[in-house]
Amino acid sequence: MNQFSLFSSGIELANLVVSSGLLKLSWDKISELYTELNQSEEIRWKVYQQPQSNCIIVAFVVSPNCTKQLLEEEELVPSSSLPFFHFLRTEINSSFSISKAAVTLFDSILDQLSSFKDRLGNSISMIVTGHCLGGSVASLFTLWLLESINRPGTKRPLCITFGAPLIGDKGLQQAISQNLMWNSDFLHVAASQDLVPRLFISPYNPNAMEIDSQTGIYKPFGIFLLCSEYGCSSLEDPEAVSEVLVAMDLEIARNKPPNEQWHMIDYGAVVKRLMSTVRFKGISQLSEMIECPLQAGIVLQLQAIGLNRRQQSGASNLLIAKLEKCEKALVLKRKMVFNPFKKLNKRKEDMAKLEWYKKVSKSEDKGYYDSYKNRGLKKDMHVVTFKKSLTNYWKEMVAEVERMPQKEEASFRTRWLYAGTNYRRMVEPLDIADYYKENGEDYKANGRSQHYIKLEKWLEEAGKPLSSQVITRKHNVSASLTEDSCFWAHVEEALIQCELLRNGQEEESTRKKLIRFEEYVMEQIKEYAVSPEIFLGGSSFMQWWKDYEQIVGTSYKSQLTDFMKSLLYQQYH
Amino acid sequence: MASERLGEVISMKEEVIKKACSIAMKAHKLPEKQLYLVEKNRGSSDVIFSFPGSWTISDWFSRSPFGEKMIDPHPPQFASLRSIGNDQVATVNEAFLTRFQAILPQLQNEVVKAVAERKQIVFTGHSSAGPIAVLMTVWFLENWENFIKSDPSTSRMPPICVTFGSPLVGDFIINHALRRESWSHYFIHFVMRYDIVPRVLLAPLSSLEPELKTILDFLNPKCTIHIQEPTREASALYVTVMSNASSVASHAACHLMGNTNKLSDTLLSFIELSPYRPFGTYVFCTGDRELVVMKNPDAVLQILFYSSQLSSEVEGPEIALRSVKDHFNYQSELQNLETKGVAHFDNLEGLPLSSNVGAAGLGLVLNNLGLSTRARLCLCAAGELEKQKRRNQDKINKKKTDIEKGLLALEGYKTRCEAGRVSYYDALKLSKDTDDFNANVRRLELAGIFDEIMEMLKRYELPDEFEGHREWINIGTRYRRIVEPLDIANYYRHLKNEDTGPYMKRGRPKRYRYTQRWLEYALKISAGSSGESCFWARIEDLCLRTINMGLFEDVKEEILSLEKQVEKWVQNRELGDDIFFEDSTFVKWWKKLPQQHRSGSCISKFINN
Repeated sequence: MNQFSLFSSGIELANLVVSSGLLKLSWDKISELYTELNQSEEIRWKVYQQPQSNCIIVAFVVSPNCTKQLLEEEELVPSSSLPFFHFLRTEINSSFSISKAAVTLFDSILDQLSSFKDRLGNSISMIVTGHCLGGSVASLFTLWLLESINRPGTKRPLCITFGAPLIGDKGLQQAISQNLMWNSDFLHVAASQDLVPRLFISPYNPNAMEIDSQTGIYKPFGIFLLCSEYGCSSLEDPEAVSEVLVAMDLEIARNKPPNEQWHMIDYGAVVKRLMSTVRFKGISQLSEMIECPLQAGIVLQLQAIGLNRRQQSGASNLLIAKLEKCEKALVLKRKMVFNPFKKLNKRKEDMAKLEWYKKVSKSEDKGYYDSYKNRGLKKDMHVVTFKKSLTNYWKEMVAEVERMPQKEEASFRTRWLYAGTNYRRMVEPLDIADYYKENGEDYKANGRSQHYIKLEKWLEEAGKPLSSQVITRKHNVSASLTEDSCFWAHVEEALIQCELLRNGQEEESTRKKLIRFEEYVMEQIKEYAVSPEIFLGGSSFMQWWKDYEQIVGTSYKSQLTDFMKSLLYQQYH
Repeated sequence: MASERLGEVISMKEEVIKKACSIAMKAHKLPEKQLYLVEKNRGSSDVIFSFPGSWTISDWFSRSPFGEKMIDPHPPQFASLRSIGNDQVATVNEAFLTRFQAILPQLQNEVVKAVAERKQIVFTGHSSAGPIAVLMTVWFLENWENFIKSDPSTSRMPPICVTFGSPLVGDFIINHALRRESWSHYFIHFVMRYDIVPRVLLAPLSSLEPELKTILDFLNPKCTIHIQEPTREASALYVTVMSNASSVASHAACHLMGNTNKLSDTLLSFIELSPYRPFGTYVFCTGDRELVVMKNPDAVLQILFYSSQLSSEVEGPEIALRSVKDHFNYQSELQNLETKGVAHFDNLEGLPLSSNVGAAGLGLVLNNLGLSTRARLCLCAAGELEKQKRRNQDKINKKKTDIEKGLLALEGYKTRCEAGRVSYYDALKLSKDTDDFNANVRRLELAGIFDEIMEMLKRYELPDEFEGHREWINIGTRYRRIVEPLDIANYYRHLKNEDTGPYMKRGRPKRYRYTQRWLEYALKISAGSSGESCFWARIEDLCLRTINMGLFEDVKEEILSLEKQVEKWVQNRELGDDIFFEDSTFVKWWKKLPQQHRSGSCISKFINN
């Protein structure tokens, strides 16, 4: 027996949306806006302030004539020419395309939207809504808002479209679905008798197919609220949405005369009917014996959206099986969502072990950087394993934050940014050691992992903490880690430069580099930003100093040489 | 199924239920000034207290949208109605609470008298008197120990609370708290399948004000003017309540089914959902020959919505009117209580999902209660969640051995340090030896286990009873006392106070805040009084603030009160006397205090001068 049963909550979520009254609220504004649309106008939009609340509704409509024309247009615009949406690109998902029709409409009112967007406050709850192509523009506008939505304290907008066509390709789908938060900002209402939402995915539309495959170019994203005369249900998984849209198309095609003229669907009537169904049991009955709650839930969903009325047919069984698979995958995906807290304590253990390693190395007058670099002992080998698990953890953490900026959760952020900085200062030197051990050059430009760069950038953005005062740092310097986690890379570079000089190469520029290094080190020392461990006898830094002292000779004088020669460094702690 | 009688299932005599019902109805007719009714029969062992309902809308909703109010924790009239670790107090309907507070002073002595006579106490109420009976019962339970303490010969029989067609009383914390205290089963609520009143608080005041006013006038037994059947208002009220109940039920169902979709949360910034939730045991009357007993509050909430759904449009007006009239049908419904079949669902996950007409047994009962397949899926999910919580508890119980091992190791560490006349706090803060390092790793291992528990508590993923388990309170206390000093040592060792702020303000983990509240709640002592495990954090903080001793006067009061606490803690062995070792951070700091202060200090006897 299964350890626990799964459920499909599509009907419940759809019911919540319907009974919340937000669909009616949105559609009322759309139909009001339609009456204001001028003959000559292609697109019209308006902001409605809700009485006695901090909520606004932004509605978009497109003239029926223009709609008819634009729906013929299936061309896509690549993301490279969509500068506003560049933020959607990630390392994994570097490009996507958006429907040209939607982009053209969006561009035509861009100036107005831009000035409206600039005036938006943080604390406003906003519904962005639109019908048909107006819905496409609503989606684009909401997408545009997503970039700034992750700032702390900003409320999330909710985009509700009615009968909107699909607007993007697989790339866009992935860009949005990889962020569960983003995906649930979009709610697309699609009635079964409305051809538009499945126009670009319909097997009957030859233009929608890619030449070399049987699948459409256009892909859905966001949550779909599908409705029929029997009820409604919502679908979250984009794969499941595609399956069901196609199945709906087949079902309708079977029951309708071909070449039926396209006409606009009145979603006002659809919403009204849905709201009244709330108090009825409707067809949410199941006559067959199904024991699995997940399967039973899916059968109910398909009934609600007008599919699977002829039960037990092969096609519908196949669809049920596919949806079941999608739901299971979704549950798995939710479970797999990286939970940084889960392993935080384990990683703290690793950090404690590293700290111990650092301590032991110090007592051997070497510093953990050099112990690790020249590793030969068993304890050095141990470090390799927990360094690895730490690095994996933080790489994943950074990637997760990249996908889903958690800036709004301020307390969460402070907790891990502190730990992340500690990690970076403790572990990056070990990466540097590995890098130079294998004769790498210019670590900062060629060898540094992205996640360190990001962690450092975020620390800068977070502002300076109390400890940035020199006096407190002086007080604590012996207990602290070197602040610049790339310090040892600078040392290694300086060692290489000394080597070059000894071999008589690139005299002038190399000397300049070394002088810059001197200045850099002196700066760090004055700020109490480096750990006194760099002055331990066996450290690479002291090795450099020996080399350098020889090269520059006794007559050379600088702040750092004074500091070193006068043994002032021995009092640096 | 049919062989069991209701009295057996809920362990309460049918006669008492019937008598309570008739007295609850009788109370409505009391003259204006009389706030309650006591029914004692000679020879009978029970005393029944009942209350008249109120039929003005302001006695139901004190304000928009839902008239709820957080229970005032000072003074703690309902000290137990809270979630302990999360430090969240319950929310109750303000109008009902106000009415309860008006009645209590008059009733109090009568109750104490009945207890002294070793009577079985029954609180009952119909309609808006139901919540009064509920609050009286909670008040009784809160004071029960005191009754027994002041007169050991008093009855130890638990009270019973029976309500008929009662509106909801408070938020989910009520259920959470009553279950934790094992009081939940003292509350029995009878609900007719269509009765609108138990659902009415699921809708906001603004959506139903005029209709509810008319309906309450119509229902008022004391109303002398003849009012026509309010068909129109009943329909409007029914539609409003159902659509709001539907939102609440669906939102809850999404959670039960494990949907983590953010959409349902996003919607909450646009709409307001009622905070009220059921608790206790519900007995649903199908209006036919069956009663359905349900204890899972999540399932009850779903049934409240689904059992009122219509089969067809035609039914509409009739059911709407019935939803009003049924509110006064409890007495006739319970007339043949003994002959009714009782269905109770201990295993919600295994419900028959198909709603075939020909069903028998449980299937038939569910059909008669009007529960569609969709409704049954919600009940299954409620059962599954309950089971999941139990599984989580099992998982945690299995960690007890690991915890024990960790605690023993750290206790050993403490003893070894003490043998060297060093406090383990200072030893870890210096971290010179492998032993210190190992202790730190142990600390982190234990933190992993306890953080997981706290995270589950925060999300209410453990059974409600968890924070009432003595054993866990003891483990938590032992853990807090031995390990928290190490957390503090580590905090100040890494100077986290400089980035984050003082430990007590910014750095103290949930695993200590929660476990401290467990103990303070269990011992009924004031919040913060068991702060001995934070001793070192307070010292570190004082050290920093008294670097310049010129400021001594500023912190004098604080130091004096801390010293008093320390004396008590050490005498009670809640704090180890290793803090007094010669070179401890504490003694070094204390010795820098002005001589005058030290010589008069209550702890100078502990310190070697």
